[in-house]
Formats: sequence, structure tokens, C-alpha cells
Amino acid sequence: MQNSLLTAKVREDFPILKRKIHGHPLAYLDNAATTQKPNCVIDAIVTFYEKHNSNVSRGVYTLAEEATEIYEDGRESIAKFIGAADSGKIIFSSGTTESINLVASAWAQPKLETGDRIIVTEMEHHSNLVPWQLVAQTSRAELVYWPFNPENEKSGTARLDLQKLDEMLKDSAKLKRKTRLLAVTAVSNVLGTVNPIAEIVKIAHAHGVPVLVDAAQAVARMPIDVSGWDCDFLAFSGHKMYGPTGIGVLYAKNERLEEMQPFQGGGGMIRQVERQTSTWADAPQKFEAGTPPVAEVSGLAAAVEYLSNVGMQEIQQHELELTTHALKRFAEFKDLELYGPPETNSRSGVLSFNLRNVHPHDIAQVLDESGIAVRAGHHCTQVLHKRLGIAASVRMSVGIYNQISEIDRLFSALDQARDIFLA
Amino acid sequence: MTTPSIYRDLLLAHARHPKNSGRLECPDLRASAFNPLCGDELELTLALSEGTIQDCKTQVRGCSICQASASMMTELILAKTLQEAGKISQVFTESLSKDTEEIAESLDSLRPLIALKKHRSRIKCMKLAWDALEDCARQNET
Repeated sequence: MQNSLLTAKVREDFPILKRKIHGHPLAYLDNAATTQKPNCVIDAIVTFYEKHNSNVSRGVYTLAEEATEIYEDGRESIAKFIGAADSGKIIFSSGTTESINLVASAWAQPKLETGDRIIVTEMEHHSNLVPWQLVAQTSRAELVYWPFNPENEKSGTARLDLQKLDEMLKDSAKLKRKTRLLAVTAVSNVLGTVNPIAEIVKIAHAHGVPVLVDAAQAVARMPIDVSGWDCDFLAFSGHKMYGPTGIGVLYAKNERLEEMQPFQGGGGMIRQVERQTSTWADAPQKFEAGTPPVAEVSGLAAAVEYLSNVGMQEIQQHELELTTHALKRFAEFKDLELYGPPETNSRSGVLSFNLRNVHPHDIAQVLDESGIAVRAGHHCTQVLHKRLGIAASVRMSVGIYNQISEIDRLFSALDQARDIFLA
Repeated sequence: MTTPSIYRDLLLAHARHPKNSGRLECPDLRASAFNPLCGDELELTLALSEGTIQDCKTQVRGCSICQASASMMTELILAKTLQEAGKISQVFTESLSKDTEEIAESLDSLRPLIALKKHRSRIKCMKLAWDALEDCARQNET
């Protein structure tokens, strides 16, 4: 479907887009932070509470059976959406952050020994850094950073160099340091870089190193195929894929699931409880203590259905068209510094930049006056920002409903920022 | 083109040409403040003479509101005792959290700044310099 046709149709589905901000139509360009919700997601949550609300797996009455079905059907549709062979590999969490913390506590912590290594990249979100720092500190393990390319590097600006990974893994082996995990994002939430996950996994596996993929940004931007990628873990959030907040997913391969210790203790995750000890339910329930977020799962399932109906290939194409336009506009201005790959190839519509001599907060405030929502700050990537030598940046991130005209509005509003701060 | 209401001329003047910008070479007190939300940093250096602020400077890496607030603060606290400055800071903080539009006479010069309090996300930007001032006041007490 052509960009304009897709957007016109899709925009009708998002009630919030009718809002005016300071008298201007809302141009929501902060989709990397969270996405807006279509009617079908809102309706699914309302319907759950109006018609089916009850606890799951704990009752034999009609409502309880309906709620359980909604919850487990949600697991099925998620499994299908990301190319998992079965729903037993899908654990529900509160979001990407909890999913990664789950792997850190339940899988990595019991394995880690003094001197072991965990490899992360410099472009990780704090949610894929700090959990590893915590377990590394407790276990006296080491976090090792796989750097991304500087500007104008032959193998691409802001790209991960695969050969470098191979060398790092060989070096660790030479030093007799066990690398326990590689944690990498599929799409950078600042640079927009799309990392070649299948190739990365292949290299890591050749050295016997499991891979965790942070798919928080990727999941609503491109087709995900955990079986094809062969990753060991994959984490993402519902609210960044047009679904509700408070729900996330951890996918784990069977071998890894078998290695995982319980995460949190409580109802639902046990088989038998004695006075002093307990035995555990099978995965995925073993990792879902307490009453799960059933309404959120029903909203997430609606979001998955919505994305599938629009088509992930179409969404990727739509985003490519917007990114192509934005990159062309960025190239027009010498005072705009864009971070991340300057080309559209393997790049998503997350575009971070600075306007010379104007603070990102001030830019975001001026854009808001024109109804344009962007993010300013370090975007939970202080390591990345320090590597770039900056404290903060402005980030525009496109979504399914954005239009080329909204990107043009942003560039016009930047003129206003120039007038105010650089006059 | 109209200037957005949030950027009043006075604030912009302070942001563009901040008063008392930089670092004192041999300060009696020094405090840093950091905004974890955006990574902004600020350092306040004070020179005291018998409890009175003889000189003060702020080194700011921050947005225009953070910069303007620091600049206005230094103008206001110069030649006051650290105790008085601490009191002004307290009143300023209260004026940011209160629903009332009333502004104490001592804060008259800060009116354009306080007017921004409806932008709740910017309060931390306004407060950064004052956090450093309160830190200095605490150091002086101990």
C-alpha cells in the first residue's frame, strides 16, 4: 500500500490523533518512547473488564475460563507474531525491563563466576545495561563493551563491526575468560541502527555464547523471526507496539528455559508447596508469579492482530519512506548534527540530532508549542551519549500513523527555534 | 514569528548572556547538581566573607531555563548571607509547588521564572542551581 493511503486509513484508528496541542494538530513523533493506541486495543481492554474479568487458571466458572482462554490465546498470538515454534516459550512480564531483569536474575546470576564476561554494545538502553552491571558486580564478572563504528568508518557510521565481535570472543577464549552472554539491541533507540541479529547470533554461537536480543524498538518496526534469528532470548514491551503499558514479553529457547531458576516466588509459579520447600510449575508459568496482567494481554493480542492486518512488511516500507524523507531534510541544514547512519539501508525511523548551540530541551519545548511531540534528553543511553561526546539530544521517532507533512512541520518549527535562540 | 510564551525576553537575555558565569578559582564553597532526566550539569562556586556571599559563579551545561535560573539566582544572592540565600531558595521552592499565584516580594525578580511552573517537566531545570545553593548552605552548617 502506498504511504499516503496506509497512513490515511490507519490514522482513523487512533482517537488521540484528533487532539490539538496549543491549537495545532498533534504530530506525535515520540514513538520510540511509547506508541499511541488504536481503538481495537482500547476496546479489547474495556471489553475484558466489562465482560470477562476474573482471575486466570484459578476457577472453573465461566468467567474464569474465558479469562484463561483470553490469556493463553494471547500467548499463542504472540508466539506466532515473533516466529516462535510454540507458546510455551513465551513468558509475560511487565515490560522489556522486567524481561531482561528476569534473564539476569534467573538465568545469568546462578551461572556467573568471578572473571566471566558479559558482552554488551555501547548502544544499549539502560534496561539492557544496568541489569548486567548488577549481576556482574554481585558475581565479580566483567561487562565488556562491543563498540560501534565512529563516523565515516568504512563498514558504516554507527554500525557494529562483526569482525570485531569475532575478535573479542577469540580474545576472551585466549585469556580463558568465559563469555556467558551477548546482550544486544535489534534496533538502537537513539541511532536508529538496525543490527544484523541473525549474523551476530551466528558468530556468538560459533563461540558457544548465547544471545539476548532487546527487541523493544524492533518489534513494531519490522518482522521478527526468533526461529530464523536463532537467538536464545528476546525481550520486548507491549506499549511500544501500539499495545498497553504494563505488559511485556520474554521469549526463551527451550534449552535456556530449562536452565532458568525461578524469578519471583508466589502463586501460579509452583507445583507443590511444603512447609519448608516447594517445587515449580513448568515454564512459562514458573516465571509468572502472582495474578498476571490479563486485561493487558488482551490489549496486546489486539495490537498484534492490528499490526498483522496492516502487515509488518508494509509498516517497514512506510517507515523507510518517512526516514528517507527525514534524512534528505537533515542533509539540507549544516547546523543540524544527526547521529546514526546517514543512509536508509538497515536504518529505522529513529532519528536523534542536535541543533548547534541550542539545548535539546529548548528545542523540544518550541516544537511542543507547534503541537509536535519529540523527546529530548539522553533517552536512557548515557553510555551512548558519552561515547558521542554529548550530554543530550533531540529524538524524533516515527510510527505507523506519521506523515511526511509532520516531518516537514518539525523542520519548520526548528526554524522557529533558530529565531528564538540564535537570533 | 511569535515567540512562544514560555520564553520571555528577560529569561532569554539571562540565558544568552548569563550573569556570573564560570568558576571561582579559590571558592569557599562548591557544589554540583545533576539532572538525571536530561544529563544537565551545574557547578556553583561561592566566596564568603563573614557569612556573606562576596562572589559567586555558576558553570552550566544545561538548557536555557536552567541557565537563566542560575543567572538570576546569582544576581539575587550576591551580597546576602548564606543563611538569607538559603531562605530565598526555600521560598522559591515553595512558590514552585504551591497552587497559589502569590509570589513573595523577595522573589520579585524571579517572576518570569516562576511563571513557568505550569510546565512541570521543566521544574527540575529551574531548580538545578538552587539545589547546588542548598547544598552549599548545608556544607556551611556542618
